Parts: sequence; C-alpha cells; structure tokens
Amino acid sequence: MTAVAERQGYRGAWTQALRSPVSRLVVKRLLLAIPIMLGVTILSFWVVSLIPGNAAQALLGPEATPDQIHTMELQLGLDKPAYERYLDWLGHAVRGDLGTSPVSGQPVTPQLIDGLAVTSELLGLALIGALVLAVPVALGAAHRPGGLFDRLSIFVSMIGLSVANYVLALVLVLVFSVKLAMLPAIGFVPLSESVSGNLKSLILPAIAIGFPLFSIYTRFLRGDLVDQQQSQDYVVTAQAKGVDPWRVLVRHTLRNSSFGLIAVVGLNLGVLIGVTVIIEQIFALPGLGRLLLQAVSARDMVVIQACVVVFAVVTVLGNLAADLLQTVLDPRIRYGDR
Amino acid sequence: MTPAAALQSGLLLEVRDLRVTFTRGGRRVHAVNGLSYDLDEGELLAIIGESGSGKTVGARTLMGLLPPSARVSGSARFDGTELVGMPEPQIRHWRGSEIAMVFQDPTRSLNPTMRIGRQITEAIRQHSELDRDAAKERAIELLKLVHLPAAERRFYEYPHQMSGGMRQRVVIAIALAGEPRLLIADEATSALDVTTQAQIMALLLELQERLGMAIILISHDLGLAASYAQNVVVMYAGRAVEYATARQLFAGVRMPYTRALLGAIPQLERPSHGQLPVITGQPPDPAALPEGCPFRPRCDLATDKCAESPPFLEHEPGHWWACWNAAAVPAVVGDDVDDDGVRS
Amino acid sequence: MAIAEATPSVVAGAPLEPPARTWLRRLGIIVPAALIALVVLACFLGPLVLPIPEPTGGNILEAYLPAFSPGHILGTDPNGNDILSRILYGGRNSLIVAVGVTVVGQTIGGTFGALSAYFGGAADTLIMRVFDVFIAFPALVLIIAVAQSLGPSVTTAILALSFFGIPAVARVSRAATLSLREQPFMTAAKLCGTPWWRVLLRHIAPNIAPQLITFAMLGMGLIIVLEGALSFLGLGIPPPAPSWGNMIAEGQASLSATPMLVIWPSLALFITVLSFNLLGESLRSLWSAR
Repeated sequence: MTAVAERQGYRGAWTQALRSPVSRLVVKRLLLAIPIMLGVTILSFWVVSLIPGNAAQALLGPEATPDQIHTMELQLGLDKPAYERYLDWLGHAVRGDLGTSPVSGQPVTPQLIDGLAVTSELLGLALIGALVLAVPVALGAAHRPGGLFDRLSIFVSMIGLSVANYVLALVLVLVFSVKLAMLPAIGFVPLSESVSGNLKSLILPAIAIGFPLFSIYTRFLRGDLVDQQQSQDYVVTAQAKGVDPWRVLVRHTLRNSSFGLIAVVGLNLGVLIGVTVIIEQIFALPGLGRLLLQAVSARDMVVIQACVVVFAVVTVLGNLAADLLQTVLDPRIRYGDR
Repeated sequence: MTPAAALQSGLLLEVRDLRVTFTRGGRRVHAVNGLSYDLDEGELLAIIGESGSGKTVGARTLMGLLPPSARVSGSARFDGTELVGMPEPQIRHWRGSEIAMVFQDPTRSLNPTMRIGRQITEAIRQHSELDRDAAKERAIELLKLVHLPAAERRFYEYPHQMSGGMRQRVVIAIALAGEPRLLIADEATSALDVTTQAQIMALLLELQERLGMAIILISHDLGLAASYAQNVVVMYAGRAVEYATARQLFAGVRMPYTRALLGAIPQLERPSHGQLPVITGQPPDPAALPEGCPFRPRCDLATDKCAESPPFLEHEPGHWWACWNAAAVPAVVGDDVDDDGVRS
Repeated sequence: MAIAEATPSVVAGAPLEPPARTWLRRLGIIVPAALIALVVLACFLGPLVLPIPEPTGGNILEAYLPAFSPGHILGTDPNGNDILSRILYGGRNSLIVAVGVTVVGQTIGGTFGALSAYFGGAADTLIMRVFDVFIAFPALVLIIAVAQSLGPSVTTAILALSFFGIPAVARVSRAATLSLREQPFMTAAKLCGTPWWRVLLRHIAPNIAPQLITFAMLGMGLIIVLEGALSFLGLGIPPPAPSWGNMIAEGQASLSATPMLVIWPSLALFITVLSFNLLGESLRSLWSAR
C-alpha cells in the first residue's frame, strides 16, 4: 500500500460520510431549529407585550394629552392586533430590520451589531479560556483519581460552581482594581483603538464569566473521563496493547469524552448569555446585555424585543452548532449506531 | 513438585502460589488466593471457574492490568523473568509484545469512535519501528490472518459497522499485532452466538498452530475447555482446586467441585425431560472466605476434616488437587449424578 | 452448559460498607445539611430570638458603622441599617423564593416530564418542543423580561424563575421516567389496568424521587444565585426591603471605601449556595453508588 492508496481510502470514507446519514442528520437538525426559533420569537414577543403600562404614555411622559397618546399609538402600530404586529415585525426582522427605537429615534439593528460584537468577544474569551484550562486540569485529575491534584481540582471547581458571577466580579474588582490597581474596574476599549487596552478591559469580566464555566467543564470532563477509564473495556484493550497511560487517556478516553463536553458547552450557552447581562452591567461594557438593561429601564419596547430575540437566536444557534459539531465528529452518530 | 508438563522442554510460564488482594471499600478482598500452574510454549491451557473465582484477576495480573489498590504476592515467571513486582513502565513493554489479551465483549473492547485500522496500527507501532504505511500494510495482513472479509475496506470502518464475530476477529488482530508468545483469551467467545463462538474458537486454534503461540483460555464453560485444551486448571474462590490434563480430568476427577461442574454439562445420554443439575448455594464472598476448604458449605462429601484447608498437591503424576476426600469422588461415567455435590 | 455467568466481574462485590467510607459519606451529607439548617434557623428564628434591630428605617446618623460596633455586630449600611439584620431578613426572601420556585418547578415540571415520558408519542413531542423553546431562551434574559413585566416583588421573582425551573425539572423527570418505562413492574402495573395517575403516584414518583431531589438541591443553589442577580439588577426584591442581591448592588457603589458592605452578603450567599451544592453532590454520589 502506498500513501496514495491511503489517501484514496480516506477520501472514500469522506464521500461516504457526505452521502450517508450525516447530511440527512444535519438537514434534520437545521429544520428542527426553525420551529424552535419561531417559538422563541413568539415567546419573546409575548413576554415583551406583557410589560404593563401604556408604551405610548411611557414614551411621552405624564403630561401627554390623550390625543398625543393616540397619535403615538398609531405611530407605534399599537392599535393593530398582536398577531398582526408580530407578523409585521417578523417580516422586517428576517430582512435584518429590527425596527427603530421610539426613544432614541435610531434604527436598532446597527446598535445591536455593535453590542453583539462586544458581547461575542467577551463570551468568546471566557469560553475559550475556560475550555483551554479545563481540559488539561480534567486530564490531570483523571490521571490519578483520588490523588492530590484530583482533590484540589474538585475543591476549586466546587467553589467555582458556588460563587455567583456578580460576587466574583466584585471580588475581582476589589482585588485587581481597587487594591492592586492593575486593571480597570469599568469601561471598554475597542480592539481598533488598542489591543492591550482592549484585553485589559475584558480580562476581569472574562474571568468572572469564565471561572464558573471552567468549573462546570472541569467537573463534567473529569467525571466522564474517570467513569470511562474505570468502566470501559476499550480502555483496558488500549492498555493491553502496551500504550502508555497518558496516551490512553488522551487518545482514547478524552476523544470519547469530548463529544459529551461539546454537548455541555452547547447546553450551557443559554445560562451563559444571561450571565453576560449582569457582568456587562457591572463592568459598564457596551454589549448587548447593557443595551437590554438600558432599554428595560427606558421602557424601549422595540429595543427590548430586538435584544431578547437576538439573545435567544444566538442561544439556539449555539446549541445547533454544538449539536452539528457532535453529529459531524462522533462516528457513532455519523454512521448511525446500529 | 513440578507438574508433569513442566518436565518437558520449552516452559513458557510458571505461576506459583499467586495471591492478589484488593482494597474494596476498606476491606481486603482475596481475589486470587493461591494459584499455581505451568504453561509450555504453544500449549493451550484452560482456566475454569465461576464469576468471582479469580480467573480473570489471575490473568490480568500477568498483564499488570490491575487496579491501583491490588497487592500481588507469589510468583509468575514468564520465560524466566519475574512478572510479579515488575515496575509499570517495564511491564508496559511486555504487554502486547509478549503477552496479549482478548476480552469477552468485542463491542465494548473496541473504541467506538476510532476507525479499526487506527486501533490496530496503534498496537503495531507501539511495538515496532514501522512507519504509517508499513503499519497499515501489516494491519491489513493481520486482518486477513484472522479471516476478516474485505480487509482493505474494513480498515477504514468503525466497530459499530461490523457484526459481533467480525469485531472479535478485529480484537484478536489487535492482540496479534505485537506478535505475542502468549495470548490470554478471557471469555473470548462468551458474548457471541453459538455458531460464531465455534468460528472464533476455530480461529484461535488455527492461530495457535500457525504462530506457535501459547493460549490461556479463560472460561466458565468446562465443556468448551475440555474439548480444546491440553491442560485444565479449575479455580474456586480464588484458588486452584484441580489441575490436570483434560484427559486425566475426565478419566478420574478428584475434586468434588470439578465433579459438580462436569455433572452440570448437559449430556445426550441423560433421560430427556429430566431437570438439569445445578450446584446449590452461592460461591463465598471473597472478602469473607470460610475457614478451611472454601467449597465445604456447598459440598456433599464434606467431613470434619474439611475445616482444615486441604493443600493443593500433585497427588498423581501431572494431576493436582486440593481435597481431603478425593477418593470418594465418583467417576463421571455412569449416570448416578444425583448424590455428589450435584442435585437433580 | 455450565454455570451461568452474568458479568466478567473482576471480584465479586463486597456488600458491606466499610466504616471509614460510610462516615465520609455521612459527613458529606451532615455537614452541608447542618449548614443549611443553621442558615434557615438564623434567617427565620434569629431576628425573633436575638436582639437585632429592624432591617429598615435605620438612623442615618449611624450610617457606615464598622463591624463590631455596639448594637451592630456587622456594622451598618449607608442608611444606618444594621447589616446583620438585613442579611438575615434578606436570607428569608432568598430562601422563600428558592423554595417557592423549587416547589413550583418540581410539581409542574416533574409532572409534565413524567407524563410526557409515560405517554410518549405526539404529546411527548409537543410538550418537549415547547420546553425546548423555553430552554433555548436565555434564562436570565427571560427572567428579566418577565420580572420587568410583573413589577418587582417576591411573587414576581418566584414566577419569573419558575419559567426557567419548570422546563429544567421536566427534562430530568422525563429522562428518569423514560428509563423506568420499559421495566417489568411498569408493564405489570399497566397490565393490571392501573389508572395512569396511580401509576404516576405509586410507581413512577417514588422511583424518580432520588433524581428529582438531587436536582432540587443543586437547583436551590442556582435559584438563590439567580434571585440575587434579579435583585442585583433591581428587578427582584424591591428596596428598601433587604435581599442579598440588592445589598450587594448597593454596596457596589462604595466598593473601594467600604468593601465589607459587599463582602458580608456575598459570604452569606456563597455559604448557602455552597451548602446546597455540596448536599446535592453528596446525595448524587450516594444514589449513584447504589
């Protein structure tokens, strides 16, 4: 056999993968996401419409005359029935137009994109940081279950699970900004202005989000690795080949645990996105969460609606991405377990 | 003192008074409690026992594949080298290259997320300097050796795309990758259906012959062992209770437990519609072994003397047993299986 | 054939628990349970038994007193209110909300999940799809929206957090019931013509209870954190009524000058959440070991 034949072999496997259940599964998952997305937009529309008080009145202030309020209601389309307003909104939304804020008079979409950029950078930093640290720590802990390092990792992750993000954020500010004066307590420096400034402004919020996340990942991965190491025969087969323990852990066990980890990352996205709202508020970061909270206090229904929908859609998409990644990577799903 | 087999040349493995204990939930569990046997080059030895009799632990000890809490004493010399107490990095080189193992359930013993080709080449490259291509070539050779149809294509498949029998062939191919001198087949056919069982058994015998490899067949099935093995070790509660050639065993079984096992094999000569004999009672808790002979509570021939542990000795040439009342054990031939440790 | 062999177990199991392990296990349950009991007693009985001032309406002249001042063990806040008193009264609210959400979530979510799994088919698909939508919804965002629409109060906090709790419990209960569905005793119950509600109460509920209780303990911690977040954002317990969340938020303003205003309620929050998490974890390992 030559390298060419090998490559052909692999290519054979690839074409098989493209034709076989994988593509069908991907399509199925994508289709399934559509009703969930629609449901999410309906839910957010409904929740926002629950907000009491007259939106027009709220905008115009207590001095407004009934006439003015009526004109404003017509302007906002509040006279139409809810489903009509929803369909109207949906029609614009799928074209990327999320409306114009009646409070600021600005179109919402550009604001959202700016906010989303900050939020995604923050989330990305926290998520990647947490994963990059969690994998080696979990491996080290699972290498010798019950050992000193394992106990230490369990202890640290228990703390990470029990500390509220906002408490952690304030403790970080207290230590690194107030006492040590190393990092800024609030504010955001865009990446385009200064790379180091940008990192400095995001490092504390990223830790506040990332540390509990790291704890969740470490706990899950460590548990799954130890479980597999102790109960799975293929681990023994690998050991019986004479493969060294670290290699067995990384090549065999971690490989199989990683699929579960991807699912955990996906499932946690919803909680994670909620957390950014509060962290952005504490560190005064101009992200989506802050936009949402400002809109909530200003009763800016259009912006609230847009933020809620974007958060929800990002969550659904994140879940979908995790799901698809798992489908594509895990051969048991890819080829349909018998 | 040595069994008859050892007198011949080419002794490969010499196990003497092997003992393994675990800490299980704070208590010492005596999994293997005195196991001795010899194995020649190219020999097929069967180790028979119920689950919990220590047969699997005894075999895994040879591979150094025991949980960290295990304490091993006694001796197991493989080709003159002591395996007991060998440090982990050293014993790792023996695994696969000198002693390999095939496990019970081929579905579970293959990594479900790895192509089988890589699982084999991993084993090959662990024990040789072959590069990727050469390792692949060798892997396909091995797959052909174990009679896996369409080996080139199967190389790229995942375990779940194959049948149980095919998977077990792959597991055997992995075990052969390091060209071991001893293959331990731990219940290697138990999880398979009867037809496949026979095919895998035939494959193992063929490989034994072609490669001159010794095989330890671990099974709960004395019938299977007796029809293939040259020598048989019967284990009960962690210790060897009878050790003889398969022929000797059938000609004159000396240990009531073995007798009961033989009686439990269904035979055509038995009257139809009769109840199958069973051994009453449960094997003892390895953490709380009874004083004396461990089979005493279930043995119909037990006397007061059995409160003292019977030694495992070579009472006849090549025939070892541990029983005070061996003379009272009736022969297998004849049909009165009703009054000797076996209840119908 | 020969003697039946079910599993290739390495060693036959030793049925008795060793004393050392049992003790560790018991400690793992006793210590967090005792801590939780302590917190509950302190919050609900403490203000009645101990000479502690009211949590609100403090004397502005006594503002910013340090810890161990006479009459104010943990000092006072910017309004001259006693911090210990506010922590204890705030804890009441946190615990009431947590218990409320847990009860609502467990009964509604637990029932829906079990029924969904028990009946299967279209009902199952529909129920789970609806819950999928709720789960896809970012929890805190949903809670903020609901809390905003209902106006801040204890009831609001319970309702808002239940939106998050019900689907989560439903998933756990559904998964637990699914694994039961194929068990012989379920078939037996069905064959005997037992009505579904009886199967649910008599056969399913006792069997999925361990998983649900474990989840409830872990959930209590999370709910207390989320309630704190709501109050922190001014959407939960409305000031001047105390809650750990709004105390932390108020303290944030003067973090550099008087960090203890943040640290005391944070510690209370942390210890309570940690206790629930440890208890849940111990229960989980206890039940999974069986």
